[in-house]
Parts: sequence; structure tokens; C-alpha cells
Amino acid sequence: MNDILFPLAVFFAAVFTNNILLTNYLGMCSFLSVSKELETSAGLGIAVTFVMATTTAINWVVYHFLLVPFQLEYLRFIVFIIIIAAFVQLIEMVIERYSEGLYFALGIFLPLITVNCAILGASLFMVIREYSFMTSFFFGFGSGLGWLIAILAMAGIRQRLRTAKIPLGLDGPGISLIIAGFMAMAFMGFNGMITIS
Amino acid sequence: MAAGMIKKTFLAPLGKDNPVFVQILGICSTLAVTNKLENTMVMTLGVMFTTALSSWTLSVMRKWIPSRIRMMVETMIIATYVIIVDIALKAFYPEMWKQLGPYVGLIITNCIVMGRIEAFALQNKPMLSLVDGLASGMGYAYVLLVIAFFRELLGTGTLWGYQILGSWWTNWSIMIMPPGGFFMLAIFIWIVREAVFKEGTK
Amino acid sequence: MKTQSFYAKRIQPLMFMALVTIACILVTAALHLSTLERVQINEQFFLWRSVLDAAAISHDGQPNSVATLFQDMVETYENQYVVETEDGTTRYVVERTGPGLWGPITIMIGFNDDLKTLAGISIVSQSETPGLGARIEERWFTSQFAGKQGPFRMVEEGTADAPEEIDAITGATITSESVKNIMNRVTAESGNISREQ
Repeated sequence: MNDILFPLAVFFAAVFTNNILLTNYLGMCSFLSVSKELETSAGLGIAVTFVMATTTAINWVVYHFLLVPFQLEYLRFIVFIIIIAAFVQLIEMVIERYSEGLYFALGIFLPLITVNCAILGASLFMVIREYSFMTSFFFGFGSGLGWLIAILAMAGIRQRLRTAKIPLGLDGPGISLIIAGFMAMAFMGFNGMITIS
Repeated sequence: MAAGMIKKTFLAPLGKDNPVFVQILGICSTLAVTNKLENTMVMTLGVMFTTALSSWTLSVMRKWIPSRIRMMVETMIIATYVIIVDIALKAFYPEMWKQLGPYVGLIITNCIVMGRIEAFALQNKPMLSLVDGLASGMGYAYVLLVIAFFRELLGTGTLWGYQILGSWWTNWSIMIMPPGGFFMLAIFIWIVREAVFKEGTK
Repeated sequence: MKTQSFYAKRIQPLMFMALVTIACILVTAALHLSTLERVQINEQFFLWRSVLDAAAISHDGQPNSVATLFQDMVETYENQYVVETEDGTTRYVVERTGPGLWGPITIMIGFNDDLKTLAGISIVSQSETPGLGARIEERWFTSQFAGKQGPFRMVEEGTADAPEEIDAITGATITSESVKNIMNRVTAESGNISREQ
């Protein structure tokens, strides 16, 4: 597999066949709590996609140019999470100052993002899978996009279900998990779309 | 008085305040490894260790932490304990470490750890926080162990890697695949809510 | 008054954070350094064990006996291991890496004396999905290759009959195909492995 196609294959694999939410269960907390409304889901999803793509790239640079040369790989958990937290804070400050509209649309989601497992997960996966810089960026971007698609689909389905009769014990998180299960099965149908050889 | 308090703190997360089926917190990092009982056991032990000790540490420090950097300090402490778990696994249980891969690191973003610190440890004494952290970790652990038990048994006919069900058993492959985790958790939550909480509201 | 509030607002949090950071890094660094030797021993043990597994040398999995067996029977060369078995036959073990679904898969591949029939294989490293693709490490999967000659064909799990058929892993089509590709490549060029050193 050549250098141009592999990042693209990883990108599509991250969006469809191995969706970070539906196959690795990452980012479940905010997925379950935010997916009630379509609009807020879209806002959070876009913010996650942006932060994931950027922090995965930043973390790649830090890991390979700072941690590896000094043999500090074991500190990566601390370093990654602090970079993510600091980056989210920075974005919050920048958009607060320059774009009021964007701040009102995305601002409230930014604190939620730091504790989104999927973002840290993308950085950790990229290290373990020994991705190159380009592949890491596309992997982060694809994972974010996959998360966005999953939460949008979920929010759409939940809006439809609002008037449905659901057993008391299943109402709320229970039914969402069952929907997520069916979505995971549906996404398995994408298997075979991508072949890496 | 103090003993009663500790007992109450200890029992609450195991029953009515269980972090998983009441608050649906923290399933991210561990649900992915619940297709094997052994992996789940090690992961939940790691979570228990991290919740208990980071609750204790932050409770000890609670009077000196400047409120502006509270979150940063919390993250730092949690990450340190998770690194300890990671290094310990790498040195003494390398096969498990290889299998769990990045999931150990994801304990950092487990909402339960941060949630218990914010909600409990910062207002309470160290010993009580330690008990609360440990109990929350255990409440979390048993739910996931039940899920892992059924997923491994139905999915591969084994438990802890040993063959339990005979050759007559057809493996439910869906159980060890990702949708199985979602379905098992949903069913578990359903049963618990119907059985426990309905009676409670009467 | 003013300096005091400046101190409380800016300096004290910074100092506090610095102290916490230094303490955390000292603890983790001490732990890392004290276990470094053990980690290296573990890595060596895994390498030796996978060579023995690939050469189909039975062992009890204990670090000591694996080390003794390895030192008695195996000669290490630049790009292969030569294993002298007790009954006088020679086995050749090579390491091959190929792309998996997520990252590289490295396999130790053992050949019998004829350089065609496989003695066995063992997975050295992989980063596939736990419970799905990662099951290629399990013995039921790797043992299927022993005593066979390539090229192979992946069939649905539990249906392999013919000698060239290998049970694929349900839900991990791409990973199974990746293993097959690596195996087919190495068996096709196995004649190039030199007996002379």
C-alpha cells in the first residue's frame, strides 16, 4: 500500500467500517447525554471532529519529536491529556474573542470535549498503530467524522422515538443503547468496502 | 457514627447510586474489552485502583488546590495513577498489557473517576473519599463483569479462557462483536430498572 | 494588598501546578526506571517464545525453560533463526511484517526442512480490534497453518475442509485476509530462504 492511499483507506475505515463509537465504544458518555436534540448533536459533533483531527496531529508531533527522543514514552498519557485540555481551552478563548456566533453555537460544548474518551483514544491508537503523520491526521479526522455521523443518526432516531411507547425500564439510556447496537450492526454492513493489501 | 457513615458511603454505589445503571457513566473505556472476562477483570481492577487512590489523594490536597486550576490538578493526578497501572501491567502482566493496548490509558477519561472527585472527594475527608472511590469502582466493576460473563459464555462458550459449554453449543458470534456489548448493557439496565427501581417508587 | 492578590491569583496556582507536576513525574519516572529491566526481559521472552512456537517446539511457557530451549536449539542469524530439533531435522524461522486493518501485523513463520511445509506460525505483534481481529493471536487460528503449504484461502469460520482452506475470523474479514496475504507471500518465496549461512 503506497503512502497516498493508506491514509485515505484509514480515513474511510475510521468513518465507516470501524467507527470509533460503534466498534470501540469511545465517547459514549456525551453520545448518550447529548443526542436528544439534532441541533446540539451537530454542534458537538463538529467540535469533536475539529478537535480530534487537530489534537491527533499535534500529539503525533509532540510524541515523535519530544517524547521518543528523550525516551519519555511512558509519560504520554499525561502529555496527551494536557495538550487536549490546553488546546480546547485555547480554542474557547479564540472563538470567544473573534466570533460571537460561533461561540454561542460551539462554546458550551467545548468543556465536554476534554473528557470525551474518543479524543484521547484517537491519540493513543495512533501511537500503538505506528501511524505516520498524514495517516494520524486522517485517522483523527475520520474518527471525528464517524462520531459526528453516529451522533447525528442517533439524534434523528431519538427525535422520531419521542412519542413512541417504550417500556419504563428501557426509557432513556436503555433504548439508546439498543439503537446504538442496531446502528453498530448496520455499520458492520460496510465491511468489505475497504480492502488494504 | 463514623462507622455508620463509612458503611453508608460504601453501600450506596453498589446499589441505588450505581454509577453505571443510574448515571450511565464511564462505560467508554471498559465496554470494549468486555468480550473476555479476564480482560474485564483486569480493566475494572485498574479503574478501582485509580478511582480509590485519586479520590484519596485529591481529598488530602483539597484545602490547598487553587480553584482556578482544579481540573488540571485532577487530570494530572488521575493520569499519574493510570500510568502506574500501565507500568505495573507492562512489567508484571505483559500478556494482558499487550491485549488491552490503549484501553488502559483511556481510564483517564473514564467519567466515574473525575465525577467522584468532583462530587465527593473535594468535600469529604480522605478516608471517606477512599471508601467512596473504592465502592464506586466496585459498583462499576460488577456490572461490567456480569456483562463480560454473558458475552464470553454466549459468544465463545468459554469462561476465563476455559471451555465451559460443550460442542453442542453454537457460538453467538454477535455477542463478542461490538453490537453484543450494546445489547447486553441495555438488557442489564432494563432488568435492573424494572426490578429495583419500580419497587422503589411505589 | 495588590501584590498579595496578584500572588494569590497568578503565582500561587502556577507554583502549585509546578509542584504537582514535578511530584507526578518523579513518581512515574522512578517506577518506570525500576521496572525497565523487567520489561526488557519480558520482551526478550516474547521473542524467544514466538520463535519456538513457530518452529513447533513444545514448551511449558515458563520463562526459564523457554530461555534454555532457545539457547540450546536456536541459532540467530541476521534475517532468520535456524532451529535444530531433537530428532535431527532443521527448521527455519523467519519474521515477516505486512499491513493489517489498523497497523502492521508481524508474524514469525517456521518452515520444515523442505522449506515448503509450514512447521507453525505465531503472531509477534498486531494492533487489531480486541475480541475481533486480535483473535488471530489465538492458538486455534495459528495452529491451522501447521503442516500445510501455501497458497491459502480464507473461508467462513468453522467450514475449512480442504488443505488450502483456513477458517477466517467472523467479524474480522480484513484482518484475516491480511494474515492470508502475508502467509501467501512468504510461502511463495520460501525457496529463497538459504540453508547456508
